[in-house]
Amino acid sequence: MEILASLVASSIRAGTPLLFATIGEIVTEKSGVLNLGLEGIMIAGALSAFATTIATGNPWIGILAGGLAGASLAFLHAFFSVTLKANQPVTGLMIVILGLGLTSFFGRNYIGKVATYINPIDIPYLSSLPFLGEAIFRHDPLVYLAFATSIVVWFVMTKTRYGIEITAVGENPEAADTLGVNVDGIRYICTLFGGFLTGIAGAYLSLAYAKLWTDEMTAGRGWISLALVIFSGWMPQRAILGAYLFGGLDVLSFKLQAAGIGISYHLLRMIPYVATIFVLLLAVSRKKEAFGAPSALGRPYIRGKRD
Amino acid sequence: MKYTVHLASIVASMVIVGVLLISMNIDPIEAYSIMFQRSFGSKFGLTELFVKTTPIILTGLSVAIPFKAGLWNIGAEGQLYMGAFAASLVALYSKNPYLTIPLMFVFSAFLGVLWALIPGILRAKFGLNEILSTLLLNYVAIYWVEYLVYGPLKGKKVYNFPYSDLFPKYAILPRLLETRFHVGVFIAIFLAVLIYFLLTRTEFGFSIRVVGANPKAAEYAGINKDKIIIYSMMLAGALSGIAGMIEVSGIHMRLKCNISPGYGYAGIPVALLASGNPIGVVFAALLFGFLYVGGSALQTTYSIPVAIVYVFQAIIVLFIIAGDALRGRKLWKFLHH
Repeated sequence: MEILASLVASSIRAGTPLLFATIGEIVTEKSGVLNLGLEGIMIAGALSAFATTIATGNPWIGILAGGLAGASLAFLHAFFSVTLKANQPVTGLMIVILGLGLTSFFGRNYIGKVATYINPIDIPYLSSLPFLGEAIFRHDPLVYLAFATSIVVWFVMTKTRYGIEITAVGENPEAADTLGVNVDGIRYICTLFGGFLTGIAGAYLSLAYAKLWTDEMTAGRGWISLALVIFSGWMPQRAILGAYLFGGLDVLSFKLQAAGIGISYHLLRMIPYVATIFVLLLAVSRKKEAFGAPSALGRPYIRGKRD
Repeated sequence: MKYTVHLASIVASMVIVGVLLISMNIDPIEAYSIMFQRSFGSKFGLTELFVKTTPIILTGLSVAIPFKAGLWNIGAEGQLYMGAFAASLVALYSKNPYLTIPLMFVFSAFLGVLWALIPGILRAKFGLNEILSTLLLNYVAIYWVEYLVYGPLKGKKVYNFPYSDLFPKYAILPRLLETRFHVGVFIAIFLAVLIYFLLTRTEFGFSIRVVGANPKAAEYAGINKDKIIIYSMMLAGALSGIAGMIEVSGIHMRLKCNISPGYGYAGIPVALLASGNPIGVVFAALLFGFLYVGGSALQTTYSIPVAIVYVFQAIIVLFIIAGDALRGRKLWKFLHH
């Protein structure tokens, strides 16, 4: 039972960066913008947060810096996709390459450095509950922030006017424009929001999860988050489940190694990537109507032009 | 006009990277002159330039062919590693001095094909987005090679390093000019010309272009779209697989981790710069080869990571896209649905 509780706890922790990035990208994609740059945005968030924390001594300023770094790279993506109407996959891929290159360049001075980290807190009374205490109520604040953000995004997307407008822009920008919705404005905001959350995902990695900075430390989490968006059918509530599930797979590869089951660590490391492909396959083989991709996803909107 | 934008983008990338260098207290003029001097200033530099260009030609082609069919092969890196793995198996276990190198080519291409076939089939049969599947398989391939060099293929004479044993002499591509310049360079250029003819002069090439430009028209013309998707991915995998073989056989002479400093990913901007034209790929690859040689010169001089090459790559492409958009012309028209 105790082992299970700690397994749940570490799955939630490992799933938290995935959750931040997935929720952010759901909002971006709901508005019709496909941002493939998550991997580069996340790593930029990780380094900015780490460096800022060392400079200021305050990890919360670091987290904010991580979010802002993510939002700046996302702004670049929005400028190319929304204003210049450029090819979105190309821009996204270049943002990945840019993020990895810049962080490797600026990050070399931070390898082996120590920052002020964000540590778990025991929630009064609840943390002493059997099982649930260890599994759910002894995490760092960002874990709860990720969860709360998902709920808020779910609420805004499904129950408010803003959500309807975002969905309209992503489904049918021509109609939304006719109704007086600012298509480009909403796409900018949603892309920046997605970048901000993905930056925080990176900040979480360097300041709360791994508690260090290394090159390419995101290790494909940006790509896995992109897959989770599809897996979740663009629904925030399903993204929570997906992120923690994949967090669990990440943990599993470490736990299996620690248990000494005799399978090479390098082979166990493949688990999340292979599992992601299988999960994607499951997601796309569902019925079309249950699939849920925004109709205008990845298509630039040019007023007066129909295709 | 088109090349003016390309040139301007290269200059712009040098300006931006120059600013980054200044922020690290490095004189950019000095840094750039080191880059040029190392690449063009000596026989060694020039041969290195071609040596680094070789795998990028192949990965560039490997991205360009599916690109022409409207597909993204982001998996050249993984296909390269699988090719390197296959070539190493042959090199380490084949005893025949004449057949070894030909067999290494065949098997590396074969494994590259298999690795690219997975996302190809998933895309054609299940509609699974090939960007994510090709990319995720890169991680799997790289961990596979790591597993091998830490485990079953770890050499007996390598102390504690994660290397395989050195290949026998007959498994190493012949070198010329007493440098690392190997015959793989000619093979890559030959393959580029071959692919050029394949794309422009054959029915298969025509079908690829029709599927890429207008999938609906392809259907009306009776072209089997799924088949074209799968074949173009297979061809892409073969080329990247051969790139892996050339790297282990021509340069490293053994299997190890990090055989590629992102050559597979460099193939993406190379294919874009060349608009998918195989001959253009050779020249774009030469530019990136220069960046890699220059990048390692900067690494040895100032100990800044080779990843600075990534920054150049991304900025060049972003500027080309921007220039293109500002002139109101869509370079990748056929990708807009």
